[in-house]
Amino acid sequence: MERGFSFAPEKCIQCHACAVACKSWRELEPKVRYRWVENIWQGSYPEIRCVSSTIACKQCDDPPCVAVCPEDAISKRLENGIVVVNAEACSGCQACLGACPDAIPQFGADGKMQKCDLCLGRIDLGSEEPPCVATCPTKALGFLRSEVE
Amino acid sequence: MAQNNQSEPFTLEHARRVAARNGEEVVPGFCAMCGPGPNACGIYAFVKDGRFLRVAGMAESPVNRGGLCPKAHAAPQWVYSPDRLKYPLKRIGEKGEGKFERISWDEAIQIVADTLKRQKAAYGPESLAILSPALRSYSDYLRRFLTVHGSPNYGHSGICAMQRAFAFMYTLGDWPGPELGKSDLIIYWGRQPIYSGAAAPSPKLLVGAKARGAKIIAIKPSMEPDAGMADIWLPLRPGTDAALALAMLHVVVGEDLIDAAFVEQWCFGFPQLKAHVQKFSPEWAEGITGVGAQQIRDVARLYATTPRASIDLGNGVEHAPSSNDAIRAVAILIAITGHLDRPGGNLFGGPFGVPSTMPLPQDISLRERFTQEMVDKLVGPEFPRPFQPFVEGLSSAYYRILDSVLTEKPYPIRTIIAPGTQPSVSTRGSKRVLEALKNLEFYVVVDVARTADMAYADIVIPTATPYESDHPFDGRGGWLMARNKIIEPLGDYKSTYEFFLDLGVAMGYGADFWHGSMREAMEAQMQPFGMTLDELRQHPVGITYEPLPRTYENYAKVFQRRSPRLSGAPFLPQGKVAIYNTSFEAEGFSPLPEWREPPESLTGTPELTGQYPLLLSDYHTSKNYTASWQRNLPLLRELEPHPLLHIHPETASVRGISQGDWVIVDSPHCSIRVKAELFPGIRPDTVMVLHGWWQGCGELGMEDMPLLAGGANVNAMYSVEEGKAYDPLITAMTSQTLVEVRRA
Ligand code: SF4
Ligand code: SF4
Ligand code: SF4
Repeated sequence: MERGFSFAPEKCIQCHACAVACKSWRELEPKVRYRWVENIWQGSYPEIRCVSSTIACKQCDDPPCVAVCPEDAISKRLENGIVVVNAEACSGCQACLGACPDAIPQFGADGKMQKCDLCLGRIDLGSEEPPCVATCPTKALGFLRSEVE
Repeated sequence: MAQNNQSEPFTLEHARRVAARNGEEVVPGFCAMCGPGPNACGIYAFVKDGRFLRVAGMAESPVNRGGLCPKAHAAPQWVYSPDRLKYPLKRIGEKGEGKFERISWDEAIQIVADTLKRQKAAYGPESLAILSPALRSYSDYLRRFLTVHGSPNYGHSGICAMQRAFAFMYTLGDWPGPELGKSDLIIYWGRQPIYSGAAAPSPKLLVGAKARGAKIIAIKPSMEPDAGMADIWLPLRPGTDAALALAMLHVVVGEDLIDAAFVEQWCFGFPQLKAHVQKFSPEWAEGITGVGAQQIRDVARLYATTPRASIDLGNGVEHAPSSNDAIRAVAILIAITGHLDRPGGNLFGGPFGVPSTMPLPQDISLRERFTQEMVDKLVGPEFPRPFQPFVEGLSSAYYRILDSVLTEKPYPIRTIIAPGTQPSVSTRGSKRVLEALKNLEFYVVVDVARTADMAYADIVIPTATPYESDHPFDGRGGWLMARNKIIEPLGDYKSTYEFFLDLGVAMGYGADFWHGSMREAMEAQMQPFGMTLDELRQHPVGITYEPLPRTYENYAKVFQRRSPRLSGAPFLPQGKVAIYNTSFEAEGFSPLPEWREPPESLTGTPELTGQYPLLLSDYHTSKNYTASWQRNLPLLRELEPHPLLHIHPETASVRGISQGDWVIVDSPHCSIRVKAELFPGIRPDTVMVLHGWWQGCGELGMEDMPLLAGGANVNAMYSVEEGKAYDPLITAMTSQTLVEVRRA
């Protein structure tokens, strides 16, 4: 069963709860973030709108970060589709950061790459949702489980 | 592709399982990060070895249904902040120096009681004022203490909620809330439906209305995310809501888009209104509000001709000298277009959601003891004396209390108790406020953490956060739950409630303060529920009461409602909508809504615009901070580390200002130093900042900011000139001025 997020921008109120819930539950150090929220402008004043986006690792099908890593420290777990980092093998070269289209990889005090792992090992992926999803007041952010054919 | 996207809701059972997995305990409770106001969301608090670790949203709570906002998650950082006050303090240095010595809780109570007794004997009980924080569940204890002491000087902000309540109730007999769940058109006017309680019902109602296909209109100077979700945005100049509302009245009256039968049967003074609004054309309003005349016409027509249309009027309209007129003009608009107490319109019963079958707790405010003498003694009435007391009781305006220390008019306040509020950043005129604090005889700060003006305090009383307290119980939105202590208090302190009980006993007022027993105080208030606190505690996620069935068109009943004035005179003397307001007229105020310029504005003071060509106003709420608090919490500070100036990219570029530049904003009254955020969704003639900046964040290496020049305290920027800067009926201090912006 593959896991991932769904996001309905028309329901997102840009409250940033998902980002902060993640930081709290994952006890992330300052400056390190596995999820953040962005405001995107469309048009110009007065014909202007803004929409929201919440951003975390997409657990890409064919992850460029995995391909670029010289230490083979990143791998995609086939049974659940989660892209995981082996911190012991990571040398902190940050090649993945340059390869990732969303600049997801984070580097804290230990210098190792870290990012969203869908809370692997922390929640029951079969029946529970991660804290970022659980906190979302409007259910703009959802958790998907899909059978791979 | 098979999908199973249903996850288990975060119920108590689920929370217990998650806790057990991590070797933790779970305690159900209330979030306290933006209240406890009307938004008390249910939480599960996770605790290990007596340490509060993190929270999750309570699925069983009808308020938040499992969701939580970012502030909620920062609770443990708030509780364990290095800024917490751990024991009572007594000043040993000069006022403002910030030198204190540690004393015990009992000593602190004794010093406060001795001072109050002495001053009461020498100057009368009215020499004491208590400043009100935002609505708190301890607010009634402050009022009770004042009333027993004999002082009417409850210092209400003058800029929040009661301003709308006043104008609405003296026009419609009620403050009708929008029935958002049924509206086909919703006007969010000066309202921030997201940030004030992001996990509470209002954002869900907005999202739900959009999904249903309802049309959304936002009226505010800058495009926050809620305005981004709207179909139509009216970017009006700050402080010009009254002009816009008057022009909308001009359109609906002039084009006969009114509910003639309703007006005939239930309104008083429509002919006078008809003549009066002729001069307020959309073209006239365009010059003042900056909103195009055609857009004003379109929106007025759309509202008037959509049967199920509601207006959600927010706090944004409570900060201008014309506030009372803006609010009553909107009230009149709701009424004459047939949207009052009709499905999908604005319904009687108050703005805070659907009334339920839940009884109200026993009122402990002692309002029955108010006397005319107390009304006469108000040091600076928030509403003119003939309209006192109002629904929350007697009140002086927060700022006027401080001002009396300097003017000694009509007499100087001698002691101010400030529980959960910081006058130097929470009200306008920060410069004068600091001067007043310096000259004040006795200043008592009651708070959980270091405050902006604590250096001026004579006594500092530390208090428990609600996470360290097992009272009070709370009943919100038809949901009643006991409060559980999540962790033991971290220092030598008690709760704010217990402070007022202990002080009451020390003053000799024990009989009125349950002889100092918090349990008795709780049981007395629990009586209407027909159960004890222990019985309520047996319900770990509280009790949810059924909503009351909705009824409509309750005009005959509501229009007869008596006001809380000592005379009990009705709000509406004619038993009809007071379009022409004889109550106001009798006291020398305009019977019909008028337009009044802010003290400084583009159209009101053109002579200033050479030096100060831009309008400045501020945001009252934010996604990550509550008022002037919480900048010290890393989880929240990281979202917005610096005070930002929202400035249109073109306005910035002609001044050589780039994204992220530090800039100086000069007004005729002060200057602030903030960081420019080029913000395409703001009127090019307007710049805005968030209010309440002073606090550093030690954990992120960020220092406190000055309270006056060089800091980012926007409240120092506005005029407080008597006769110009406030609304004559409801205080509503201005939050508009003119500025210039330059690179720092
Ligand atoms: S880190 Fe970037 S590249 Fe790697 S899986 Fe996540 S989104 Fe894809
Ligand atoms: S799934 Fe877990 S790690 Fe990923 S963003 Fe959500 S809370 Fe953070
Ligand atoms: S919690 Fe939900 S609504 Fe809030 S920012 Fe995240 S996705 Fe958007």
